[in-house]
Amino acid sequence: MTVEDQVRDIVAKITRVDKSIITRQSTFKEIKADSLDVVQALVAVEETFGIEIPDEEAQKFQNFGDFVSYVESRVAQEEKV
Amino acid sequence: MDAMGGDYAPEEIVKGAVLAARKDDVEIFLVGTVTILEKELAKYKLTNGSSINVIEASDVIQENESPVDVVRRKPNCSVAVAAKMVKSGEADALLSAGSTAAAAISAIQFMGMVDGVYRPALVGSLGSFAPNTVLVDLGANVDCKPHQFLAFAISGSVYAKRFLNISDPKIALLSTGSEESKGSDAVRQAYSLLGNSGLNFIGNIEGSDILSGKANVIVCDGFIGNVLLKFYESIGGYAQVWTEQKLKRYPPVRALVRLLFKSLFPATKISRETEKQGGGILWGVDGVVKIAHGASRAPSIANAIESAKEAVKAGVVESLKSELAKFSQGGKL
Repeated sequence: MTVEDQVRDIVAKITRVDKSIITRQSTFKEIKADSLDVVQALVAVEETFGIEIPDEEAQKFQNFGDFVSYVESRVAQEEKV
Repeated sequence: MDAMGGDYAPEEIVKGAVLAARKDDVEIFLVGTVTILEKELAKYKLTNGSSINVIEASDVIQENESPVDVVRRKPNCSVAVAAKMVKSGEADALLSAGSTAAAAISAIQFMGMVDGVYRPALVGSLGSFAPNTVLVDLGANVDCKPHQFLAFAISGSVYAKRFLNISDPKIALLSTGSEESKGSDAVRQAYSLLGNSGLNFIGNIEGSDILSGKANVIVCDGFIGNVLLKFYESIGGYAQVWTEQKLKRYPPVRALVRLLFKSLFPATKISRETEKQGGGILWGVDGVVKIAHGASRAPSIANAIESAKEAVKAGVVESLKSELAKFSQGGKL
């Protein structure tokens, strides 16, 4: 399972939307995720991948794709270490 | 107990805990800044057998912080630590008079939700004019997704069965008209979900039917529910003032009216009933969470402790789980 698939599963489970409608272009508003959904997703992703996502980075996420790209880059960094 | 949350925390919270511990068989954990709580607790003499423990919470939520921040930035604030104690089984119930949102978020994050429920809801009986009617949600969810209304209906149904002894509660959706096509998008979609749920759904009711007793469970979003509850609770006081003003030329009758409002007229009792219960239960989280009014004084806090204890004894969470399981198995949640 790719990082993208895992993040999509987490977001779909928290927001209770069908994961098939979550594309890399989907904004959090489009998938009807409120601020608590977003925070829960961040915490779940941090726990799943053992990373920490600073608030200043999280605030830059414009859509699901930005979120996934950030997690992918952090996971790659961790693997190198 | 979130001992740091509430308009009069920690003084009145600690005093309320002492009142409850003196009269009841209950073990209380006051969660917050230990030095402050121990100083407060030292003001009181506890009788033999009373059990109050103080638990440290190292984070403090500031007034200007968003409740959502609890989850990431302040996971060791008093309400979060209290929620974790319920999750671990060290405590049976959580009580907070602090921010409802912070308590709800802590409960969601650290206790978890019951399967099939997306967000917790506040359920309460209307008492007085409509003693067999409960309203859900009373303010926990301002914006709701359609499937939330179904979970609200199930929570309200369990409440009506357990606390009002109604075997097959009649459920209605609050809307702007009785027709299926009336209401917001979410309400119209919820109509269909409730209609196909297998619950005893009687359709939409309007505001004028809320007190009629037609429905035992009235479902609405938390924005409407909270406005409605506060308006309802204010009626008694204003009705008394209005009637007394109309009768100001007739002092004896005015005195009689005052007496009637104070002792017989049910509207003024609504707030007292809410006071007696010390607030509402947050339904849908995996544990008993009691939300007390922010302005609660010690007697209300003691009542809330008693009420939380009753909810634990009544097994409200287990009842809700069992009811929800029927719908989950049918693929309706």
